[in-house]
Amino acid sequence: MNLRKRLRPPAEVPTSSMADIAFLLIVFFMLTAVFATTEGLQFQFPEDDPTQLDVQPEEAIHIKINGDGNYVVDRTPMTEAEMGGYVQMKMEQTPQKPVIIQTNGEAPYFVMIDILDLLKYLEVQNISIPTQTEVERWKAFGIFE
Amino acid sequence: MTKRHGVRRLAPTVPTASMADIAFLLIIFFMLTTSFSPERTTVNLPESETRTEVSRNSAIIAITADGEIKFTDGERPSFLLGSVEEIGLLTQEIIGFIPDKEFLIKADRLARYEMVDGVLEQLRLNGVQRIGLLTEKESPGDDG
Repeated sequence: MNLRKRLRPPAEVPTSSMADIAFLLIVFFMLTAVFATTEGLQFQFPEDDPTQLDVQPEEAIHIKINGDGNYVVDRTPMTEAEMGGYVQMKMEQTPQKPVIIQTNGEAPYFVMIDILDLLKYLEVQNISIPTQTEVERWKAFGIFE
Repeated sequence: MTKRHGVRRLAPTVPTASMADIAFLLIIFFMLTTSFSPERTTVNLPESETRTEVSRNSAIIAITADGEIKFTDGERPSFLLGSVEEIGLLTQEIIGFIPDKEFLIKADRLARYEMVDGVLEQLRLNGVQRIGLLTEKESPGDDG
């Protein structure tokens, strides 16, 4: 019987492939990472009560966005800069003055966002974005043209 | 001075022992920053200057430039809808459980407003209160 002590290599965990595995995972996470957009413009719908108009249209600033992306503010066509000045002036007089944004269905979405952004920037408190059906209803009541 | 012959030099090696540590550090970083968004439609969001943080796990409605609508409740992956009206029922279900759930609209900047209006209409009719319109940070020097 061979009783001589044999030289065994010390036991080791094979770690050489660790870096490979790790880099594989890195590449996976880098490719799947979607840095989610979590910022935007917020607004709230009022409590739904069809009998109650939440804003008095005749008291409000009425911004109408046409299909071609031009705006009409209180029946006067304006540029964005003019509108900013106009809204700011009105806000200084009555800070709680509601602003109605009525957008034509043909208009591109970003025009409406631009206006909403401008109003938020001017710290308008009371912004109303009526949907097409509401506009029709208001028209039916004769308080909206 | 005697010159010794046969001095064994160690073969040059790149030290790779810390490679795994670096790699795992990066993995952890990416794992923490990755949020698996259930809504992965690519749209060109409109830009805005004022932006506020919207709540996570909101329901998301995506509208592409060519008028496709996708919906997700914030947990399951988004799916294509046949018509705007389908949002109504889906919304009702969610609002029944979580009345103050936030709904996000992720619409392409060139989408026709009509589409957005239709979606807002459905949300409003079904008792949604909190709406967020996702935007991108306005790039400097852009007057748009």
